[in-house]
Amino acid sequence: MGSSARKKKEKKKDFQKVKLKVGKTKAKPDNFTDTSFKAKSIVVNQQSLSTSAPTSSAQFEHYLSLASSSRSDTQRRDALAYLTSRLSSRPVNEPLPLPTSILLPKLAPLILDGTASVRTQLLKFLRLLPSSDIGDRAEAMLLYIRAGMTHLAVDIRTDALSVMEWMLEVAPEDVVACPGGWVKTLKCFMSMMGWALSIGTTKWTAATKVSFGKAGKTFPRQLMVLAQFLRAGLVEPHALPPTASRQALFPLTDVNIHMIPTSSNAYAHLNLFGTPRDEEGEMYVDREGRQRVFNKLFQTAVEKGIENAKKEAGEPGRAGAVLAKVLKDGMGDFNGVDDTL
Amino acid sequence: MPKKRVGALEKVDADLPNLQYKIRRDPKSYSEDFLNQYGQYKSQRDIFMASPSTATSAGIVSFRDLIDFVAHVADCFPEDTAEFPEDLKSILTSYHAELESELREKIVGSLVLLRRKEIIDSANLLNTLFPILVATPSKTLRSLLFSKILSDLRTSNSKSTNHRLNRTMQTALFNLLSSDKTSQKGIWAVKITRELWKRQIWTDAKAVEIMKEASLADNEKVIGGGVRFFLGGDKEREELDDESSDEEIVDIGKLKHQHGINKKTKKKTKTLERAVEKVKKHEKKKKAPHPLNFSALHLLHDPQGFAEQLFSKHLQNTKSKLNLDQKLLVLQLVSRLIGLHKLTVISLYSYFIKYLTPRQPSVTSFLASLAQATHSLVPPDALEPLVQKIANEFVSEASASEVASAGLNAIREICVRQPLAMNDTLLQDLVMYRKSKDKGTMMAAKGLLSLYREVGADMLKKRDRGKTATMGLKSGSIKDRRFGEEEAGGIEGLELLEEWKENERKRKRVERGLPEEVGSDEEEDDEQDWDAWDVESDASSDSGGWINVESDGEIEISDSEDDKPAVKKAKTQASKSEAEAKDSNEKTELEKEEQKISKLATTKILTPADLAKLQELRLEASLSKAMGGNKVQTARQKELLARHADDALTAEQIEGFSKLRKSTKEERVALAREGKGDRSEHKSTQALRRDKKDSEGKSSTNKEKSRKKNFMMTLGKAKFKQKRSLVQTKRVLQGHVERSKRGGKRGNIGM
Repeated sequence: MGSSARKKKEKKKDFQKVKLKVGKTKAKPDNFTDTSFKAKSIVVNQQSLSTSAPTSSAQFEHYLSLASSSRSDTQRRDALAYLTSRLSSRPVNEPLPLPTSILLPKLAPLILDGTASVRTQLLKFLRLLPSSDIGDRAEAMLLYIRAGMTHLAVDIRTDALSVMEWMLEVAPEDVVACPGGWVKTLKCFMSMMGWALSIGTTKWTAATKVSFGKAGKTFPRQLMVLAQFLRAGLVEPHALPPTASRQALFPLTDVNIHMIPTSSNAYAHLNLFGTPRDEEGEMYVDREGRQRVFNKLFQTAVEKGIENAKKEAGEPGRAGAVLAKVLKDGMGDFNGVDDTL
Repeated sequence: MPKKRVGALEKVDADLPNLQYKIRRDPKSYSEDFLNQYGQYKSQRDIFMASPSTATSAGIVSFRDLIDFVAHVADCFPEDTAEFPEDLKSILTSYHAELESELREKIVGSLVLLRRKEIIDSANLLNTLFPILVATPSKTLRSLLFSKILSDLRTSNSKSTNHRLNRTMQTALFNLLSSDKTSQKGIWAVKITRELWKRQIWTDAKAVEIMKEASLADNEKVIGGGVRFFLGGDKEREELDDESSDEEIVDIGKLKHQHGINKKTKKKTKTLERAVEKVKKHEKKKKAPHPLNFSALHLLHDPQGFAEQLFSKHLQNTKSKLNLDQKLLVLQLVSRLIGLHKLTVISLYSYFIKYLTPRQPSVTSFLASLAQATHSLVPPDALEPLVQKIANEFVSEASASEVASAGLNAIREICVRQPLAMNDTLLQDLVMYRKSKDKGTMMAAKGLLSLYREVGADMLKKRDRGKTATMGLKSGSIKDRRFGEEEAGGIEGLELLEEWKENERKRKRVERGLPEEVGSDEEEDDEQDWDAWDVESDASSDSGGWINVESDGEIEISDSEDDKPAVKKAKTQASKSEAEAKDSNEKTELEKEEQKISKLATTKILTPADLAKLQELRLEASLSKAMGGNKVQTARQKELLARHADDALTAEQIEGFSKLRKSTKEERVALAREGKGDRSEHKSTQALRRDKKDSEGKSSTNKEKSRKKNFMMTLGKAKFKQKRSLVQTKRVLQGHVERSKRGGKRGNIGM
């Protein structure tokens, strides 16, 4: 039969020896698997190879970029830890390896970082920065702090509060006086503590903190930070120059007013070159302006909130009392006449 | 201590979709959460605005997600989010170039979402998106914006036409085109207008005006877009309309039955409801009156000015940068306009002269354009040199057959439109080509001949005139047409329709057993006519496809019958009386005029079905007239007659039978295979036919049965041959002789 002959042939074919030919590549075996592949890009694990060790400043820069842009959270944390140790271990009078103006914008986004260890490490690092440099960057920092304070994740909110605390310690004047620093931040506080009212809400008494915030532990802390913030903004620093000395220096009274300003961009509040600001983004340089805005927008809500906090007693009650005292100090001398409108 | 209740958001950090879901269900309870998130959005926005190019949204909640979230719930808190749309718009307008693509798309999508929720209105949205569409260098963004703009225009016009929005958009497009004629940005105006025209959303003169502006632009692409629109936009619209109308329709009875039997679930009920709704919609759409859409060419405001401008700007102008193809397109449009509106652009004809040589690339297009640009009001002086040149250059014994046939076809098409462009010596020369061996040339020459038998028989030689024409000339019924003469009269073929209706009525009355005369129940008949309003209805089911051709082609034969159209009778009467006396001639002339204009159109409203029938009858009449005694009709003849005067003339029609470019083998094979059905396995035609019948469940013929019969059973019958009587034998032999005369069993009729 034809078919059986064919089958025989087929069977034989399996065991036939492949002939090798001169000048030809060796025939591939049957079970050969092609393992070659094509890639659009090549990733090199070690990016640079050099015989000399990197200088310490180069290393600092490297770790800075790692801390700000690495994908892995441990790497970020470790890089931050390295930076912290570098700063803490440097001699007293030596300047920073990189100026604060470079460090802060790079590291500020880490306030919103998803990993808790990175955020705590960041706070440690921030505390090491020279306090005089912070004031000028307050606006940029506040952007991230505010974002952190209203963040959906509770931990980020708490950590943002710590950063806020640190800012208030270091540069209280700048925090409250920078563009948007007063009204926007206050609004953040309001919404964070659930004291804000929606414009469109009716007279419903919404059950506070339905889902937002673990009221128990963080609430007193929020109250404390708010008190600190209000103190910075509303309470007058009581270092008034004695009048006697003024007379002694008769021709030179108020001389520091007429001198060249020491702060950068002294006329920023005039906003000569920027885009026009609204009420929220406005700079409130002096205490009266802040008082006025606070009275107009927030005072009732804050007072109501304090009432409730006092009723809770315990830790929130105590914090509420502190806040109430600050409020009394700050707003006590406010005449209440709204002369702007 | 009881277990602490854990809120969902505390379990999963940054779960915006979850919050969104909750807010949508109960906005009031979650307003605080929303405010928090809105605050978050604001601070993220501030961060972004501080440095738009470098801000990365690498955090666990990106700016993108926040925008998405706020856009989705914005309708729950309209007061709080009042500034949100403005924010998005300003971000998009000022930073669209440097935004990362995902964020950009999200912002566009959110704006569209806000529009859908009717937080912002269409004009607002389009005013934002359109400038970006024109300005952006990114291709993906452009395509996204284009589709969004289109879909928004469609939705806002879906329920009723939003005239205000359309007007603003059209003005914006027009301004875009007219502000900078050299820029390529105008192409977007063209694209949008064309798309909306296709979908029948814009059908007004303003859209046409935009395209007119585009055609007169300075940028080649814009010009091309505008011109192509005029040449093909309406066809595209019709095609889309056809496509959408023959969507597959679900069998609702089947679905209902299935629903009755199968397990009942909410989902299944919903699908059934949806299907019913769809069917209802479809029915409604079918019942809806056909929208009366004018073609773009008819909606033009000043066709004469437009044609002149097009011609002088793009064709006559030596500095025009268009290439040959684009020029041809423009030329097509110009000639189309001239032919359609009977415009006068005299310089166009002299422009043609230098292009009319066989060596000119795509000369058939030029010829087609020339023919298109001809109409009855073109002075013959302008055309005569052109016809002469075509004849000299194309039609000669020495030229290739394709060239000759193209030339002859072109001359014929010109002369159809303006018969006076021909002189008799040239015509007699050209007509001689009907003896050509090449089929294309022969057909073309014959076409020319048959044309002049109708329109100018006296120019032909006597023996070429044919019977009808000679008789007509003798009797004086055929008169030579003067330049500019217009035929007075009503609707062509209306008398045919009247006659047909009369016959129908009689037939129906006979069916009902009533006398043929029209009684008092005429009203009833009319009502039936109204029932048969639609074209698809039974009354005119034979309107498509085949056309009945009278077996006796001579229409004159039936002249004696009394149910002939009144017109013809009047004509013949008139011709008789003409011979008798001159003054009586005047009188009959008047009578003729009176009778000629049928009463039908003035007394009744013609339904679409009537109009379809009218077209059919008209075609039938012209066919039988054209064929004379010859019964064989070709598809080509039919097509020639069916072509409407408004339709464009293409280069293929000029090329005719013999195409200048040879067809490839595949084309030829496909042509041969066309209409043969697919033959999967090799079998005889008989077997195939048998299979087909079997599959249809039809029975076999007696012959087939006998073939399958057991041989032993047929033996007895075979023996019968010997026992036949003389008469039977004679019959068989006679049958054989007759069959052979006829040429086989079925006869050789066609040859």
